[in-house]
Amino acid sequence: MRRLEARTLRRLEGSLFIAPWVFGFLTFVAFPLGYSLFMSFHQVKIEVNKTEYAYIGFKHYREILVANGSLLYEELIPFLKQSLMMIPIILVFSLFVAILLNLKFPGRTLFRVIFFLPVIFSSGQIVQEFITQGEGSLSMMQSLRIDYYLREYMPAAWASPIENVLSSFVLVLWYSGVQILIFLAGRQTLPASVYEASRIDGSNPWNTFWTITLPGLVPYIFLNLMYTVVDLFTFPSNPIISKVNTTNYGSSSALAWIYFLIILTFVMLTLLLYRRVDKALSGR
Amino acid sequence: MNVDWRLGTKLRNRLELLRYRVLGTEIDKGILFKLVVYFILINVAFIYLKPILYMMTTMVKDAKNILDPSVIWVPRTIYTGHLKEASEMLHYGKSFLISVSLASSVSALQVFSCAIAGYAFARLDFPLKKLWGALLLFTFIMPPQVTILPTIMLFKQFGWMNTFLPMVVPALFGHGLKGAMFVIIYRSFYSTLPKELDEAARIDGAGSFRMFFKVMFPISRSATVVVLLFAFVWNWNDFYFPSLFMFTADNVPLSITLARMAGEMAQAAGAGEITVYAESIKMAASFLIIMPLLVVYLVMQRWFIEGVERSGLVE
Repeated sequence: MRRLEARTLRRLEGSLFIAPWVFGFLTFVAFPLGYSLFMSFHQVKIEVNKTEYAYIGFKHYREILVANGSLLYEELIPFLKQSLMMIPIILVFSLFVAILLNLKFPGRTLFRVIFFLPVIFSSGQIVQEFITQGEGSLSMMQSLRIDYYLREYMPAAWASPIENVLSSFVLVLWYSGVQILIFLAGRQTLPASVYEASRIDGSNPWNTFWTITLPGLVPYIFLNLMYTVVDLFTFPSNPIISKVNTTNYGSSSALAWIYFLIILTFVMLTLLLYRRVDKALSGR
Repeated sequence: MNVDWRLGTKLRNRLELLRYRVLGTEIDKGILFKLVVYFILINVAFIYLKPILYMMTTMVKDAKNILDPSVIWVPRTIYTGHLKEASEMLHYGKSFLISVSLASSVSALQVFSCAIAGYAFARLDFPLKKLWGALLLFTFIMPPQVTILPTIMLFKQFGWMNTFLPMVVPALFGHGLKGAMFVIIYRSFYSTLPKELDEAARIDGAGSFRMFFKVMFPISRSATVVVLLFAFVWNWNDFYFPSLFMFTADNVPLSITLARMAGEMAQAAGAGEITVYAESIKMAASFLIIMPLLVVYLVMQRWFIEGVERSGLVE
């Protein structure tokens, strides 16, 4: 009897702790979410002191997906292709830098301070400013005429996204600040004793990386993958973001939902892949 | 003969020593390896620093230096007129105060409310915990664009438009800009702490509240530094929410005044007012906005880097 009481008391305490978050979730997430779903099926007319809704079913969705697909297919799809290529670059680069920053060498703190700078800049208007200055591109691109070869040898549907990625390559590096952080933090969780053991066994750093570091970092790779997907979808250069505006509540909501479903698919795929990889690794 | 042999060994020893110095006993100890590492790091660091250097040198160039083709990086004279002009256009004094108070209040609230929620998720028991945990992840994944329109309508109903409340109130409840991510950071930090900590406190008769405020919150300093810096920086830089919730307001943070200034300048350029100063003024404005963040970052970086290493920022 007393035990049960103690347990209920604990649950009550726990509920009190989580209550503000749950309240916030219901007001600022769940309610707007439901409401935007509701609006996406309606023609919304806003007048001075009242709002009218007329049910129109899937009309907004049909318009975006079928009738007037230019926004989705001509702007979003190239953006998605571009993101697909940016994700591996960001992941590989940030993993590489995190491993380098984890080594012990004089001046490490200075380099760490510099390499975390993107965390400060990349969320702001400033990066936009840099893009317009052309700071995002590599000067190597023009001098080697890579864009020319790309157009020559790649199918047109992929040439322009690749060109976009390459021309904003430096920018891609700018967006890997948080990912470097996550990898660096993840690297700390791998015990030093394992590295010592492999060193005593005569394994060279190259092998150590592939057999110890990389498998140990798999969870963080996926965490980063998820973060990068989420981050890219709220990228300032994302064509959808500016299209969700107050000119047409109904169709904007429908657009936002279509967009959200695409993101969910991506994230679900990531999670599924993670399950697979995790199983394969632990089964070994 | 004997001497010759001795000389040979000596030479061989020297060579061996040299090899060890250059290549190292293990690859990552040698000079060669270090040189490669430094080469890569310096190059990447240059990529990160170049825009900042460009910003700082461009903003102090006067007309003569801008037009002089031999001046690329280092201007011959330092001219502070652009900074003055930019600060006037940004209404720097007022907007700076607004940005500081907005970003610091939101980030302080987020630290506190997200710590509470993260603690509950990691160590307390409450009904439907699994479901709420899934919804937390859901919130993390969901782009703000999905809920933005109803949120605007909601805040209009409350009469909160053109005030700071739309940014502040969600933060009070552990939401707001990237709130879900902060809850997740705290959750993974608190779940790394040993179970004995709760048990000891419970035996001493401390309830969850005292436990949290006396023990848990104080020892989560490393996670707090990370969250505080992220929250401050992101809220400072955030343009999206203020632009929708308070675009017509008079008292706006710096991110909005920067956008307004860029708009004004684009208009002036469109009207045919071409000026060589535009670039320098823009850079000066960017500098004015970034500088406070740089100061905050440089002050906090020691704890921040330590916090990243220790905080179980990831579980």
